[in-house]
Amino acid sequence: MISTNPWIWLSAFLSLACFSLFLGDNKAFRWAETTYTASVIGHSTVTGLLVMRDRFYPLYTGAKPILIIPLILGITVLLVVWRKYAWISSIALAVLVGVGTGMSLRTLTSSDIIANTRAVVGEATKIIRGPLTTQVGSIINIIFTISALFYFLFTLFPRGTLSKPLNYLRTLGKYALITYMGISVGNTIQQWVGTATSALYRLIVLWLGLR
Amino acid sequence: MAKMPELKSEHIWIVVTIAFLIPMLRPLNTPFPMSDVTLEIYKIVESLPEGSIVVMGGGGVFAFDIESSPGMISCIKQMARKGIKLIAVPLWSETPQFHKYVIDAARVDKDKYGGPWKYGEDYVLLPYIPGPSDEVVLDSFLRDIHKTVSIDLAGTPIDQLPLMQKVHSYKDISLWFCPHWGFVPVIRIVVAKYNITSISFAQSAAYAFFSPYMYSYPGKVYMTNGYIGGAQYEKLAGDKGLGHMVIDSYTTLSIVTVAVIILGNITMLSRMREEEK
Amino acid sequence: MSRTVTYIRIYLARIIVIVGCLSILAGYFLTSPETAGLSSELQLWSSAISGFTLFIGLITIFARYIRSVMNREQNWPFHLYCLIVIILWVPFGFLQGIYSDIYQTLYLSTKITLHITIIGMMGWFVVSAMYRTFRVRSFRTAVLAILAIAMIFFNAPYLTTPYPVFGDVSYWLLNNPQMSASRAMVICGGIGGVILGIRILLGLERGALRMTGGE
Repeated sequence: MISTNPWIWLSAFLSLACFSLFLGDNKAFRWAETTYTASVIGHSTVTGLLVMRDRFYPLYTGAKPILIIPLILGITVLLVVWRKYAWISSIALAVLVGVGTGMSLRTLTSSDIIANTRAVVGEATKIIRGPLTTQVGSIINIIFTISALFYFLFTLFPRGTLSKPLNYLRTLGKYALITYMGISVGNTIQQWVGTATSALYRLIVLWLGLR
Repeated sequence: MAKMPELKSEHIWIVVTIAFLIPMLRPLNTPFPMSDVTLEIYKIVESLPEGSIVVMGGGGVFAFDIESSPGMISCIKQMARKGIKLIAVPLWSETPQFHKYVIDAARVDKDKYGGPWKYGEDYVLLPYIPGPSDEVVLDSFLRDIHKTVSIDLAGTPIDQLPLMQKVHSYKDISLWFCPHWGFVPVIRIVVAKYNITSISFAQSAAYAFFSPYMYSYPGKVYMTNGYIGGAQYEKLAGDKGLGHMVIDSYTTLSIVTVAVIILGNITMLSRMREEEK
Repeated sequence: MSRTVTYIRIYLARIIVIVGCLSILAGYFLTSPETAGLSSELQLWSSAISGFTLFIGLITIFARYIRSVMNREQNWPFHLYCLIVIILWVPFGFLQGIYSDIYQTLYLSTKITLHITIIGMMGWFVVSAMYRTFRVRSFRTAVLAILAIAMIFFNAPYLTTPYPVFGDVSYWLLNNPQMSASRAMVICGGIGGVILGIRILLGLERGALRMTGGE
């Protein structure tokens, strides 16, 4: 049976307005788009007000008066919107960039570069023992990782005596990436199917009650 | 071969719509097998002693994170049944709403649904914690929770919540769940630095990016694969939700998608033959 | 503004970047409680400052849309509607609290419904796009198309239930050939990130502090 909940009706009209894009750009879709923009901005503002309450709670209670400094710096960040006064926010942005850069230097090195390189080296031990599928998988892992790395790192291809054999490695790297794209596209289909199912569920089941 | 006409997009959309509507109106209840990694994740949660503190944290966009919701909702029901405690740590601005959504959908709250969990004692929702990057926030949070967060999502000081009085740093956390796109920062800090096992009900597009980390940190990082993994977890928990629905839709859509690709290639071949003639 | 003040501003910002970066690194590599304290304090400050970025969207939209409404530009009725919704939404959300059920219902019924629908529409567009793009014209496109079709089938329950080996093949493909190329991307991304961080520290990336540029 059709729903009597006004929120579900609102949700259904917004969904239908969105789906009207299949018929081309129209005012209903613009209405849905504008509602989306307004809700995003509204929510981030409400969240921002709550964040102010949380982040500066020790300042309000007097437990940590030094937080006045990030409060002032945070207010200067808002001036980034005006080109004439954007320079005032540079100190606050410098704090963000400095802290973020320090963290990324540390984490990227340890978990992205070293841990993954260690994993590739560890694959070598699986080539000589274990089930056949694991052995084949390990060989493919090592070859594809090295060739794809070579393809990325040597975009400007060096010329010389070794250029012909290295060209084969580069081509193998290209196919490793094509393999990646094909498999991930095939795997990602379930994401589009699922999200569309969720969107249709709101209309067909929650609103119209046809199931 | 006669030249095949090029199909218009609108014709394909009509076929796709029918393929979506069939399982929606008449559930197919398609059976599906279990995968080893989903079973292993289930056993990890089952092996946690009562009173263990688990964190559901990370950052993501709600509409994409909906793919992680089937597995997470079933997992919350499992944790509530086992007397495990949960703290929700959102790192993006939309994430508090997603955390509230999955907890409400699991219907575990004592006051609202008569479930086993009481807010403040068994689960806590923390507010969005901003930062220049998720790694900075996670590091600060795990080092000293009470210094990083002062109030919960409702504005109550966390010192007044019984659950938050028991947890102060990474040492008090048994497991970390990340039902979001932002799983990589969790791996970089929670797993790599603080050695806490982390599990993600990963989105299928994200699985491609996260899978190397499963092998970089074996036994510490686990992931399920999209809606299929979520449906498998629902099955283990004895649930039937969005995951099962998507499996039904996938049954029809997979056939339509492959048929469309094959048709496109036949159309191309017929045109090539016509041009040769 | 005088060149001296600009000069001081640029170098002050660069010093703050270096101090921030080194304090985070020192907090990790050194066990001194003072460095840990400084690192932790800077993290809290950066978290507090980041919170203000949530208001930038509000200021930008209001500035742009108020001008549009006053000048009666194209789509000005929609811009006025947007401003009215924001003006109603913010006090409602603040007074009710984002923890409340009513706010959650409002949010799910509007923003989330719209976002899921917009992304869900990709389901239709992806299938029609695949009709046009997955055409085998060369060996490369054949590899791409065959692997995509194989993965679609190997994930399908009507195949994996009677023949579980297809499910194992699907996981093998995901965790071996696909994962290895992804790993290469992660390593290269990591190298790129480290190089960018070093360039920021050396002051070569002025874009990172774009408001300090301006010679």
